[in-house]
Amino acid sequence: MTMFNLLRRQPWVITVLVFLILVTVNTVLQPSFVEPSVMQSNLATFLPLILVAIGQTYVILAGDIDLSVGSIVALVNVVTVTVIAALGGTLGAVFGGMAAGFVTGIACGLINGFFISGLRFQPIVTTFATGIIFAGLAIWVLPQAGLPVPDAYWMTYTESVLGIPVVAWVLIAGVVFTLVVSRLPFLTRLTAVGGNRTGAFQTGLSLGGLRIGAYVISGAFASFAALCLTGETASGDPLLGASLALSSISAVVLGGTALAGGFGNATGSVVGALVLGMIGNVIFFAGLPFEYQTLVQGLIVLAALAGGVFVTRR
Amino acid sequence: MNNPRILAALGDPLTIAIAASVGLLIVGEILSPGFAQGSQIVRLLTIAAILGIVAAGQNLVILGGREGIDLSVGSMISLGAVLAGNMMDGQNSGILPALLIAGGIPFLIGLVNGIGVTFVRIPPLVMTLGMTAVIQGGLVVYSQGVPSGAAAPLLSAFINQPLILGIPGILFVWVAIALAMVFVLRRTAFGFAVYAIGSNERAATLVGLPVPLIRVLIYGLSGLFAGLAGVCVIGYTGTSFISVGDQYVLPSVIAVVIGGTSLAGGAGGYLGTMAGAVALTILQSVLITLNLEVWARQVIFGVTLLALMLLYGRQKKLRV
Amino acid sequence: MTNALEAVGITKIFGAVRALTEGRLTVGKGEIHALMGANGCGKSTLCKIVAGAVAPTSGTVGMDGHDVRFRNPREAERAGVALFYQELSLIPQLSVADNIFLGRELKSGLFADRKAMNRRAAELIGLFDGVSGQGLTVDAIVGTLPPDQRQIVEILKVFAQDAKIMIMDEATAALDGRQSQRFFEILKAKKAEGVSTIMISHRLDEVFAVCDRITVMRNGATITELDTAATTRKAVVHDMVGEVRAAAPKSAGLSTDRPSLVVKAARNASLRDVSFETYPGEILGLAGLQGQGQSALLKSLFGSEPLTSGDIGFEGKSLAIRKPSDAVMNGFAYVSGDRGRDASFQGRSIFENIVAALAVRNRLRIIRPAALKPQVSKVAADLKTKFAGLDMPIGTLSGGNQQKIFIARWLATAPKLLLLDDPTKGIDLGAKADLFALMRSQADAGATILFYSSEDSEILDYADRVLVFNGGSISAELKGDAMTSVNMTRAAYGDAA
Repeated sequence: MTMFNLLRRQPWVITVLVFLILVTVNTVLQPSFVEPSVMQSNLATFLPLILVAIGQTYVILAGDIDLSVGSIVALVNVVTVTVIAALGGTLGAVFGGMAAGFVTGIACGLINGFFISGLRFQPIVTTFATGIIFAGLAIWVLPQAGLPVPDAYWMTYTESVLGIPVVAWVLIAGVVFTLVVSRLPFLTRLTAVGGNRTGAFQTGLSLGGLRIGAYVISGAFASFAALCLTGETASGDPLLGASLALSSISAVVLGGTALAGGFGNATGSVVGALVLGMIGNVIFFAGLPFEYQTLVQGLIVLAALAGGVFVTRR
Repeated sequence: MNNPRILAALGDPLTIAIAASVGLLIVGEILSPGFAQGSQIVRLLTIAAILGIVAAGQNLVILGGREGIDLSVGSMISLGAVLAGNMMDGQNSGILPALLIAGGIPFLIGLVNGIGVTFVRIPPLVMTLGMTAVIQGGLVVYSQGVPSGAAAPLLSAFINQPLILGIPGILFVWVAIALAMVFVLRRTAFGFAVYAIGSNERAATLVGLPVPLIRVLIYGLSGLFAGLAGVCVIGYTGTSFISVGDQYVLPSVIAVVIGGTSLAGGAGGYLGTMAGAVALTILQSVLITLNLEVWARQVIFGVTLLALMLLYGRQKKLRV
Repeated sequence: MTNALEAVGITKIFGAVRALTEGRLTVGKGEIHALMGANGCGKSTLCKIVAGAVAPTSGTVGMDGHDVRFRNPREAERAGVALFYQELSLIPQLSVADNIFLGRELKSGLFADRKAMNRRAAELIGLFDGVSGQGLTVDAIVGTLPPDQRQIVEILKVFAQDAKIMIMDEATAALDGRQSQRFFEILKAKKAEGVSTIMISHRLDEVFAVCDRITVMRNGATITELDTAATTRKAVVHDMVGEVRAAAPKSAGLSTDRPSLVVKAARNASLRDVSFETYPGEILGLAGLQGQGQSALLKSLFGSEPLTSGDIGFEGKSLAIRKPSDAVMNGFAYVSGDRGRDASFQGRSIFENIVAALAVRNRLRIIRPAALKPQVSKVAADLKTKFAGLDMPIGTLSGGNQQKIFIARWLATAPKLLLLDDPTKGIDLGAKADLFALMRSQADAGATILFYSSEDSEILDYADRVLVFNGGSISAELKGDAMTSVNMTRAAYGDAA
C-alpha cells in the first residue's frame, strides 16, 4: 500500500498531523498557548466554525453543498437577540430567544432542502440565492449591530461547569453528536446518496428525505454556531459569519470528506476546522505583518481545498 | 397576433428584458418625474456598460456549463481598479500600461481559476469564492490598506463626459465589445465550442473538441473582462478602494440569467445579457428612487435569482 | 401446487412502441427458470414488471396464487421479489457490508447493528469461500474491488434479502468459471429451501446445466415454455430465432489483399484479446447480446474508452488513440445510438450540430455559415433529412432525423472509418432504410464500416461479414453461407458454430 493510497483512504490522518504540528509551532511562538484560559478563549473563537463545519459535512456527504450557512448564522443571531430584548431580557426571555433562533435555523434548512430536493434546483446557486435572502432578512430584523444580551448569557458561556468550560462542553456535545450519527443507518444512506445517486435510488432509498434531513442538520448546526457567537460577542450583528460558507467547506475538505460527496465523516471536519483556526493563530503569532495575514490565509485555504479535492477524488 | 414568429419573439428573454427596461423607465418616470430624461438615461447606460463588460465574462463562464459561475469577478474588478489607479496616477500617459496590467493580471488569475475548475475539479463556485479571498488578501498587501492612485483625466472624461452626440466614449466601447462578443460566439470555432461544451460536454469531447483548454480559457477571459471593467470603475469614480468591485458580483450573474442564458449552460447570448444589464441597472435605480432599504433590495435580488432558477436551472428527475 | 409466480397476458406500451405484446411467465416454487430471447425481445421489460420497476399496461401478475400489483420496487421487495442490478446499485465508497444491507440495515434499537451485519455479511461472503479471490472482506471498500468481486457483492445483496423469487439478469457476466459454478450451487441449495430464480444469461451452457425450465421470448411475446430435460439447444435457438434467415446476398468483389483496419490483442475493462482485420469497402457487423464488448470495441477505437493494451493499425500505420480528437484527426467517425447523451447539442441549431466535427477536422478558426451552409445542406439532403431550416433547434426534429444529422456531422468530414454503435436505436423504419443505403454508398466509396446493432436482422441484411461477441471476446466469425440467424444466436450464447 503506497503512501498515496493510505491518504486516499484516510485523508484526515494528515490533517491530524498538521494540527499537531500547528499546536507545537503555536506553543513555541506563544508559550501561554497551553494555559487553560488561553485555550478556552481560542476554543471559543474556533467553536462557531467547528459547529458549522459539522453541519456542512452532512450536506456535502450527500453530494450537495450549503453556501447559506453564514447567512443563517447571522439571521439566527439577530433573531435571538431581538427576541430576548422583546421578551424583556429575563432568564425566560433568554431561553425564548434561543428557541426562536434555533427554530429559525431549522426553517432555513427546510427551505433549502425544499428547493433543492423538492423542486430539483441546483444546490450551489440555490443556497447562494437563499443565503442572500437570509442575509437580507437579518438586516431587516436588526439593521445595525448592537442590542446587547443579558449578562447571564455571555457569562454562562465563558464559565465552567463541573470544572470544564462551557465551550468545551459544547465541543464535546458536537463530537458526541457526530459519533452518535455515525452509528445510525442514516449516515450510511446519506453517504450512499452522495456516492452513487442512481444506485441509492435503485436500492430504494428515499433520496428526498435524506437530502432535506442533511440541510436541516446544517441549519441546526448553524443555529448552534450562532448561539455560541452570541455568547462570544454578547450582542447582535446582521453581518456576522460572512466568511463561514467558504471556511466551513474548507474545513470539511480538510477533514477528509470528498467535496463530490459519498466519502468522509464529520469528526474529521472538527479537526479540519481546528486546523483552519490554528493557521490563523500561527500566522498571527509568527509576526507576519498584519496586511499579509488575509493573503496567506486565503492561499492556504485555496491550496488546502485543491489538495483535499485532489486526494479525495475518486 | 397568431403568427408563431411573433409569439416566439414575445417569449424571447431578450424581448422581455427590453420590455422590462422600458416598463421600469415608465415606472421611474411616474415615481419621480425626470427619471427618464435623456441625460438620466445616458447616466444609467454608463452604469449598465460597466456591469455589461463584467457580465460579458460571466456570460462565457455560464455558457460553458458544468455549473459554471465566476464569483471572483468582484475582487478582479477591485484588483483592476487598484492596479489601473496606480499605473495611471492621474497621468494620461499611464492609460495604456494601466489597460495592459489591469487586464493582464486578472486574465492570468482567471486562468488559474480555470485550471482549478477543469483539472482539479473544484466546483466553480467554491474555486472562485476561494480565489476571491486570495485576491482580497493580495489587495490588502498591495495597497497597504490605504487608497492610492487616481484616474487619468482623459479616462474620466471618456467615461463621464459626452464624446459624440452627447454620448460618452464608454458606450461606444461597450458597443464594440458587444460586436466582438457576438462575432466570437456566432462566427468562430471558439464560440461554437463554448456552446458545445456547455450544451453537452460528452458530445463535445466525442467530436474531438479540446474541452479542458476551452474551459480554462473561458475563465481567463472572465478575469480579463472583470479587470477591464475595473479600469472603467476607476474612470467612473476617479478613485478606487479594495472592495469597489464587490457590488458587481451578484448583478453580473443576474444580468446574464435575465438575458436568457441558461444556468445549465449551452444556451443564450450576449445581446440578451446587455438587455439584462440595462434592465437590472434601471431596476436598481428605481429601487433607490423608491427609498427601498438595503435588506429589501437584497431580498428582491435573491428571490429574482430563485425565480430564474425555476425557469432555467432545474435538474433532471431520476428514473429506474 | 400453486406457482411461485404467474404472469399472464402482460403488455407494455412505451409511447408508440409496444415492448411487450403477450408476455407470459410461469415459475414454479423452488425452480430455476431461464428467460431467453434475442435482444429487444422484451425479457428485460418483463423482469422489470415482475420487480415493480415498470408498471404493465395490462395483464396480471400472481404470486403464490394471489394477484399482486406493485407500484414500486420497494413493494415488490416486501412481497419477496429481489432484483439483481448489473453493478448499477453499488455505492463504490461504501464497504461490502454497508452495500449488502443498504436501506435494510439490521438494527439494535436506533443504531445500526454493525456486529450483526458484519457477521451476516461474513456468512454471505463465506458462500463464495475459496473462489472469491483475495480481499473480499466485510469492510473492503467496494470501489477498490475488481469487477468479479463487485458482482459477487451485488449477488450477495440479492441473497441478503431472503427473497422468494430472485431475478438474476446476467448475474454471472463478470464471474469466472469457478465463481459461476459456485453461484449455481448456491442457487440449487436455495431451490431446496423453496426459493425460485429467474435467470437471464448469455451462456447457453449455463442454462442447460442449471435451469429446470426455459421460457423463450421473441418480439415482445412468449413463444414457448420448455422443460430443459426434454429439449435441445438447437430447438431453443430455433425458438428464439423464429423463421430461419440467411444473410441477404451481398455484392461480391471486395478486395481483401490490403486490410484497412487491423486490431491486435485489444484489451481493456470490457474487452479480452480482440483481434481482427477489416478491408476498405467492407461493412463489418458486430453481433451478440448487448454489452458483450461490441460497443466497448467501437468506443476504444474512437478513444473515448481507450485500450489498456493491444495495437491498432489503420492503412498500414500504427496508431495510438488515447482520446477522441486523435481518432477524428485520423479520419475516424463515431455515431452512437444514445444520441441524447453522446451526440446531441440540445438547444443548439441543426447547423451547429452538423459543423461541430468539421470544424475540428479542418481546424477552422472562423466559421462562416454562409460559406458552409451549401455544403452542409447537401450532406443533410443526401440523407433525405427533413427539416425546416438549418437554423432550427435540433430538438425540433424527430429521433430519426436527428440521427441523420449526427451522421451528416461525420459525413461532412469525409471519414475513412465509420464506427456505428447501434445507430438505429429508436428511429423509424423509413429513416433506417435511408441510413442503410447511406452505409452502403459510403462503403462503396471506399470507407470501412464497423457496424454494431442490437437487432440481429439488421446485421444479417447489411453486413458483409460478422464478428459475434460473447463476454468481451469474439466467439465466432461468420461469413458467406454461415451467416445465418441460427449461427448468430448460437454464437451469441457462447455456443461456437
